[in-house]
Amino acid sequence: MIRFNAVSKSYPNGTTAVDDLSLELAEGGITVLVGPSGCGKTTTLRMINRMVEPTSGTVSLRGRDIREVHAPELRRGIGYVIQHAGLFPHRTILDNIATVPLLLGWSRKKARARAAELLELVGLPEEMAKRYPNQLSGGQQQRVGVARALGADPPVLLMDEPFSAVDPIVRAELQAEFIRLQKELHKTIVFVTHDIDEAIKLGDNIAVFRTGGKLAQFDTPEQLLAHPADDFVAGFVGQDRGIRRLSFVKAGEVPLRDGPVLTATTPVAQARAAAEAWLLVVDDGRRPLGWAPAAELPASGTLADASLVPLGHTFSLVGDSARAALDSALLSPARLAVGVDADGAVVGVADAQELSAVAAAEVGEPAANAEKADGDDR
Amino acid sequence: MSDGEPLVRWQWIGDHAGELADYTGVHLRLGLLPVLFGLIVSVPLGIACHRWRWLYAPVLTVTNILYSIPSLALFMIFVRYTGLTERTVMIPLTLYTLSVLVPNVVDGLASVPEPVRQAATALGFGPVRRVVQVELPIAVPVVIAGVRVAAVSSISLVAVGQLIGQGGLGYYITRGLQLDFPTPIVTAIVLIMLLALTTDALLVLAQRLLTPWSRNKVTSS
Amino acid sequence: MNDFLNQVRLVGDWLTSSQQWHGDDGIPHRLAEHLTYSGVSLLFAALIGLAFGLLVGHTGRGAFAVASVANLARAIPTFGLVVLVVTLAGLSTTPVLVALVALAIPPILINTFEGVRGVDPVTRDAARGVGMTEWEVLIRVEVPMSLPLILLGLRIAAIQVVATATVAAYPGLGGLGRFIVDGLSRNDYQLVIGGSAVVVLLALVVQIVFTALRRVVVSPGLRVSASRS
Repeated sequence: MIRFNAVSKSYPNGTTAVDDLSLELAEGGITVLVGPSGCGKTTTLRMINRMVEPTSGTVSLRGRDIREVHAPELRRGIGYVIQHAGLFPHRTILDNIATVPLLLGWSRKKARARAAELLELVGLPEEMAKRYPNQLSGGQQQRVGVARALGADPPVLLMDEPFSAVDPIVRAELQAEFIRLQKELHKTIVFVTHDIDEAIKLGDNIAVFRTGGKLAQFDTPEQLLAHPADDFVAGFVGQDRGIRRLSFVKAGEVPLRDGPVLTATTPVAQARAAAEAWLLVVDDGRRPLGWAPAAELPASGTLADASLVPLGHTFSLVGDSARAALDSALLSPARLAVGVDADGAVVGVADAQELSAVAAAEVGEPAANAEKADGDDR
Repeated sequence: MSDGEPLVRWQWIGDHAGELADYTGVHLRLGLLPVLFGLIVSVPLGIACHRWRWLYAPVLTVTNILYSIPSLALFMIFVRYTGLTERTVMIPLTLYTLSVLVPNVVDGLASVPEPVRQAATALGFGPVRRVVQVELPIAVPVVIAGVRVAAVSSISLVAVGQLIGQGGLGYYITRGLQLDFPTPIVTAIVLIMLLALTTDALLVLAQRLLTPWSRNKVTSS
Repeated sequence: MNDFLNQVRLVGDWLTSSQQWHGDDGIPHRLAEHLTYSGVSLLFAALIGLAFGLLVGHTGRGAFAVASVANLARAIPTFGLVVLVVTLAGLSTTPVLVALVALAIPPILINTFEGVRGVDPVTRDAARGVGMTEWEVLIRVEVPMSLPLILLGLRIAAIQVVATATVAAYPGLGGLGRFIVDGLSRNDYQLVIGGSAVVVLLALVVQIVFTALRRVVVSPGLRVSASRS
């Protein structure tokens, strides 16, 4: 849908912002451009709506060279969200959102009706409509910025570090809201950030840029974490990318074994016969009660009489990722993660070794090789 | 003016050099003392407006109204009380400087970064010492920017005072009109502009010497 | 204080005596002259000052020239300039008006320029980003956002023009300054103080007009950030 063909941008002072970029962005997904400052990610974004003109090469949108379209006209058809929102301080919130419809010549009434709709869509109360930007918090301004960009319902949305100027709590809120919106709207979104965590959280595809305006890797987040193209990308995605990769494996895909699961009514003698160091004690509904160390079982009676060590936490097979499962294994006194179903009943257990193996298999390589690759990097 | 009369007769300037120098001295006094008086009034007034924010709007309204009154009318109002003296020229000129100096003192104090203010308090400065030793020095560049505007306007306005006989170099402006002779008028205009621009340049220099820490920064006027 | 009341009474008597309200020497005629001088020169100065201020502010080209012109213009003694113009061109209105226009341009020019240049680059970038043409960026964003400073420039220019038009009575022009200048030469103190009172009233009206204008045309969204009224 958006295609860069051998695009370069250099400035008269000799700096090269973007160097021979060829890239094709698919329709209807979120592509994140990420990299350190000065890597040309923002320049790349701004070449899509002709805020920056390339020195050489072509950018095309739906098969059409964007230079064939008059720049203001092109921009009215592309949503644009920037870091500090860039709202017009002299206009009310409603008129800010109505900007593009008004530029397109809609009637004031129709434009305002559309703006009111968008205000609701981005989760702002109706009474904000009459306020001015400097009466809003940074997070609220950013929501208005998104609403303004959606004014004429453009198929493409460009977002230049839209959430980086707000505090972490608001940022997490805005990100969640953004994911919800995208599920509803299915726009083609190009999103610039310097924050790799944000890129992995939001992106369907990620383009990693290195300083000097070169594209280092273009891949899905999973592939990026599993197979960084080189040392630069590996360094940029961080030392903990192995763990982070587990976020992309659903907990439901983790193979579990039955494990030493016994109800509280089990006689101690029977429990000893299991010959396990730790026993997972559950109630009648198979909901976990705690771990019983075999060495400290009472002489007689049932497991209800045993002193239990708390679980740490369980992981849900329906909602969690393998990353939560691994965390559960690490915190468990028995070094076993406990998987539960939607009712909280124990389905099975797995240890850290088994979890990392499944994660490696998920991205198509044996665990041993993955470790070796990591070793080479260091 | 008679035909063939040149804009400037250099001969006249040469003949009147001594007298011109005397009037230049008077002009400087009439133009610059009001700026000094204005500063003496504006600094405490500005500090008060900074401290008690509600005071600022009414003070600004009054200084703006004073500034909007034409100098000729203001001179006439004071003639009754101070006669045809230099004071009658300097009092209105002092009042005019307030409309530039007070806002600049307030803006200058507002330009003190909050962490600096808090650090000074934490180090044990009392409110008065903090203003005098920390906040005012930081406000100096903004205040001097205001002083520059006030000084230049004041020097060029002095000439109107000639209508009550106290105009410094303005003397040559009325003299030239009476004699239908442009040379004194042109000379007076050029000298007044030179005085104003030289004063401006000296104030820029003074600011550099007073605030060595801001030397690499660009200060707007 | 007693003397002040005497002065007020003097002004009151002068204002209410019927001869001040008729003929070429009456207040209405002098006021009309004064308003014509001030209005015409302010109008031309505004057209020129706004056009160049917006152009230089929007493009950023010629910024240094604008700053230098404004600085230099402040140093010009307006009284001297008006007298020089009369000495050189004789006693007619047009040359003096040209001088008034020249004096009123710099404050409008520099404040318009600074207003436009002071628009947050992020806002300007956003305006282009949503698809405004350069003209739309100027008219829909930069001008409304610069209005506080544009009005400040117009107000300073108006004050200067009104004051200089008063002084223009000295070399022989009409306007409200006539009362003061004639009163001085005739040693008629009532005429001087009466004329001064009318000039002060006019200045107050100018001040009120600009305060009202500001209330009406400046967006409430900008009020917080604009500190100088």
